[in-house]
Amino acid sequence: MSIFRELQDHQTVRQYTRAAGERLPRWVLPVIVTLVVVSWIPLVFIAKSRVTKSDVPRIQLIPDMDQQPKYLAQTASPLFADHRAMRPPVEGTVARGELDDDDLLLRGKVDGNWSTTFPFPVTMEVMHRGRERFNIFCAPCHGLAGMGDGMVAKRADALQEGKWVPPTSLTSDVVRERTDGELFNTISNGIRTMPAYGPQIPVGDRWAIVAYMRALQRSQNASPNDVPADHQSDLR
Amino acid sequence: MDLTVVFIFRYACGSPGEPPTANRRRNSEPAGVAILGGIYVLVLVVYAASPGTTDVGYQPNQPVPYSHALHAGKLGLDCRYCHSTVEYAAQAAIPPTQTCMNCHKSVRSESPKLLAVRESYATGKPVEWVRVHDLPGFVYFNHSAHVRRGVGCVSCHGRVDRMDVVYQAKPLSMGWCLDCHRNPEASLRPQDKITSMDWTPPEDPVAFGKRIRAEQGLNPSSDCWTCHR
Ligand code: HEC
Ligand code: HEC
Ligand code: HEC
Ligand code: HEC
Ligand code: HEC
Ligand code: HEC
Repeated sequence: MSIFRELQDHQTVRQYTRAAGERLPRWVLPVIVTLVVVSWIPLVFIAKSRVTKSDVPRIQLIPDMDQQPKYLAQTASPLFADHRAMRPPVEGTVARGELDDDDLLLRGKVDGNWSTTFPFPVTMEVMHRGRERFNIFCAPCHGLAGMGDGMVAKRADALQEGKWVPPTSLTSDVVRERTDGELFNTISNGIRTMPAYGPQIPVGDRWAIVAYMRALQRSQNASPNDVPADHQSDLR
Repeated sequence: MDLTVVFIFRYACGSPGEPPTANRRRNSEPAGVAILGGIYVLVLVVYAASPGTTDVGYQPNQPVPYSHALHAGKLGLDCRYCHSTVEYAAQAAIPPTQTCMNCHKSVRSESPKLLAVRESYATGKPVEWVRVHDLPGFVYFNHSAHVRRGVGCVSCHGRVDRMDVVYQAKPLSMGWCLDCHRNPEASLRPQDKITSMDWTPPEDPVAFGKRIRAEQGLNPSSDCWTCHR
């Protein structure tokens, strides 16, 4: 369309020039048209490379100090046998603030027995936190309501995995009768075929999850008396 | 674009209203070609050298055919199940082999695709994942500062739950960072939707973001030392 316009414009130019007693050489127009067409080719290539994915490393136009000779989190170092630049603490040492001397908080035990209480008061905030963390870490296997019907459990059933043990229903009597300390310990260290979640979940969150598990259990074993007085009439 | 070129050409060769005299045309034609050529080269360089061309779409081959589309998409795992430090630390942390083995001890436990993972578990040597997103060493970035203030993963990493192999979806250039730091409203969301990939605001995103911004008192800084420290 616009090229056509340009041709038209040249028509007028030519008329002017003819009036002035001069004419554009014949080859000018084809050359201009070719140039315009050719000039699009690199643009098309660039546009293509913008939308395709590639495993060639990024192009660094000005690479000054982009890659500095320093170790970042989780980078590799040839210095160590396991190639980890991040070193674990030296054995037998304790980092400041990480002395594990709180049996109740860190192991769920009181005087060597499983604790039946929480190391901190359970508030609504703790409950909400517990629900969020439960949905992230436990629901994939145990399901959102703790019934043992999470996505991974369903998928493993469908695949007929021989080694898969179905996750216990968290609202079953067995689990309801466990003490708070035992449940905390199950999360921290795993149990039988269930993996340990201590490394992934901070201590406070583990306790919050225990609190939320208790709420799930009550929700499945509630009696009419558990309904708040002002909602009792809704039951009928 | 075509129209602009024609316009510039004509302007360079003399204004269209008046008939160019022979004298004038002879002088201005090379200038017109030079200007056109210059503009063309400039467009080419800017387009080719922009981070959208050089950085976006980087998709390195990984040592294990691990798929986010399967784990985060189909199985619906939350990002934080694996990238568990993302809310507390600057780094989002690639999960250790142990995290994979939580499930793969019993699910697909003999799959040849997981050979490298089992080997790593047995020997204690980490799986050497190839880094996808990588800011230059002179830039400071912090995940927790964003994730805990209502910026979702999807704003900076795209639809990871649809990627079989992760690629860089956004330019991660300074201009891109600043665009958001100056106008963050459109990218803010409630705290419980941070990892959701398909959440959309119930109303106009900017109005919604304005409210979140006011509630949390967010004021992303554009000072150089925020990111270059
Ligand atoms: C990878 C899947 C998986 C995840 C994720 C998972 N579990 Fe389990 N869980 C299991 C399996 C499997 C069992 C049954 C173990 C057995 O009987 O061998 C189980 C059993 C349990 C039990 C019953 C233990 C007993 O006393 O008998 C509790 C309680 C429990 N899990 C809590 C949790 C909590 C809390 C979380 C989240 C932090 C969680 N689980 C996450 C797979 C999982
Ligand atoms: C089952 C564990 C798992 C889950 C769940 C998971 N990821 Fe990942 N993620 C990984 C692993 C392993 C890698 C490294 C390999 C790779 O890059 O594909 C990775 C890499 C990434 C990278 C690229 C890192 C780099 O090198 O720059 C991004 C971005 C990412 N994940 C975002 C997400 C987001 C967003 C979600 C939630 C939708 C998510 N991940 C859920 C395991 C997981
Ligand atoms: C919460 C459980 C869970 C975690 C954690 C997990 N996966 Fe998976 N993964 C699965 C399930 C379930 C399947 C099978 C899904 C299917 O085939 O539909 C699977 C399939 C795979 C497959 C394809 C296997 C095949 O033969 O097709 C690979 C590869 C894989 N996972 C790698 C990983 C890696 C690497 C990690 C660690 C970053 C990881 N997975 C963490 C549950 C998990
Ligand atoms: C404000 C933008 C932004 C948001 C929001 C964001 N990321 Fe990132 N992410 C980045 C940048 C930039 C890098 C590269 C960091 C570097 O090179 O130091 C990165 C790197 C990563 C990596 C590679 C490992 C690392 O930490 O360097 C993973 C994994 C990752 N992001 C996952 C996530 C997940 C999961 C979320 C959501 C919970 C998320 N990111 C939210 C910008 C973002
Ligand atoms: C989608 C929006 C968005 C993008 C993209 C983004 N940021 Fe931010 N950034 C924010 C918000 C919101 C805050 C929180 C501001 C506050 O706390 O007041 C923030 C805070 C920060 C902070 C912490 C400042 C402090 O007070 O400690 C740093 C550092 C930062 N951003 C760096 C970056 C870098 C580097 C990039 C580009 C790679 C980037 N950001 C991209 C939205 C964004
Ligand atoms: C929100 C974060 C942020 C802020 C604020 C910021 N920068 Fe940057 N800057 C970046 C990022 C990210 C890059 C890397 C861009 C890339 O790799 O494409 C960068 C790159 C640069 C570079 C290019 C270095 C090179 O050689 O490639 C210069 C110079 C620079 N910044 C200067 C500044 C100055 C001056 C200011 C203050 C006016 C500033 N920056 C503020 C994030 C920021």
